[in-house]
Amino acid sequence: MKRAISTPTSTPTSPLAPLERLLASLLHYGTWVASLIIAVGFVLTLIHTNSGVSHPETMLGMRIVTTGIVLFILLPVLRLMLMFGVFLRERDYRFSAIAALVLLIVAAGCVTGAYLAPSMAG
Amino acid sequence: MDIGFTIWLFAISIGASALGGMLGMASGIFIVPILTVFGHLNIHVAIGASIVSVIACSCGGAAPFLRARLTNIRLAVVLEIATTLGALCGVLLAGIIPVSALFLLFAAILLLSARQMLARRGDPIDTSAPVRSGSWAAKLRLDSSYPDRALGRDVAYRVQRVPMGMALMYGAGLVSALLGIGSGVLKIPAMDTALRLPIKVSSATSNFMIGVTAAASAGAYFVHGDIVSAIAGPVALGSVVGAVLGARILMRVSNEKLRGLFVAILVLLAVQMLLQAFGINPFGASA
Repeated sequence: MKRAISTPTSTPTSPLAPLERLLASLLHYGTWVASLIIAVGFVLTLIHTNSGVSHPETMLGMRIVTTGIVLFILLPVLRLMLMFGVFLRERDYRFSAIAALVLLIVAAGCVTGAYLAPSMAG
Repeated sequence: MDIGFTIWLFAISIGASALGGMLGMASGIFIVPILTVFGHLNIHVAIGASIVSVIACSCGGAAPFLRARLTNIRLAVVLEIATTLGALCGVLLAGIIPVSALFLLFAAILLLSARQMLARRGDPIDTSAPVRSGSWAAKLRLDSSYPDRALGRDVAYRVQRVPMGMALMYGAGLVSALLGIGSGVLKIPAMDTALRLPIKVSSATSNFMIGVTAAASAGAYFVHGDIVSAIAGPVALGSVVGAVLGARILMRVSNEKLRGLFVAILVLLAVQMLLQAFGINPFGASA
């Protein structure tokens, strides 16, 4: 293994803002939790898939996979909610309003999905 | 569920994501063509799976950028108004646009990416333009600074032409929703030409925004039933693994060789998507 030649021993710049640290943790751990849930779902599905078609356990495994996927889709939404909360606490009303507006547009996207013509996936 | 197909999906997603991660591209641009051309999947199912993996890669890759203070969070949330609105329109269009047009548009985006890969990106020169008190950037306090390791100090930068940046971001959001990609191809010109951000800041901020943009369309596609767990699950998982691997390999492979390989793959996939648009699939049954 080659070692890094220039190791930055100290960071002379200003310390990390709490919002950045919070967001980094949320996205980092959120990604691993969602990935783990999907992996567990697949292991369960693989174990039970040999025994027959549409076994209740197979369905359970797939449902766990779906849960992981939903968590992935929710992760950016949670990130927006966190930003909304932090901006609000900092009394930065303009930016909390912007975060809320983005949340509203994302929500509108989900509602739109329900009313689209049901032709696409089949 | 077909175990062989699941493993194939997992494997190609690792490959696509590792390859994309090495040059700072989302894996979506490879995943949709591979799933439709070689996996014979419906393009809407492929887009649904891809958009989830785009979120996974964005969220998985965001933490190091945030910790390095490269992400401009304030600018990101302002631009997200435009990208999510674009995504919303993309979702509406996705149901109307004929499948062959989607393939054509995809081919065009692939070729555009190839061209962009060949052109060198440089930091915009005038990052210290005079302050315009009436500008959006001044009103919203978007100007910021980032720590430059090479210089060992913070480098201040100004955000310019926000309205033009917003307009380009709207287009990026629309294409992202329509094709299930992160559409970095369209975000890069917006960041470089309009907003004039330093490259490190624009890569970090663009990656950060991609998750929210994709969530707007992924939510719609999920509710609509286009996101099939048996497909989207292994693709998302493979993409996360691939992104981790890609970041490791990045440090060992020459950038020039990679660039050449990348352009070749992009052109090849563009040709396949063009053929697909006209109903020709040289790899068996047409999707």
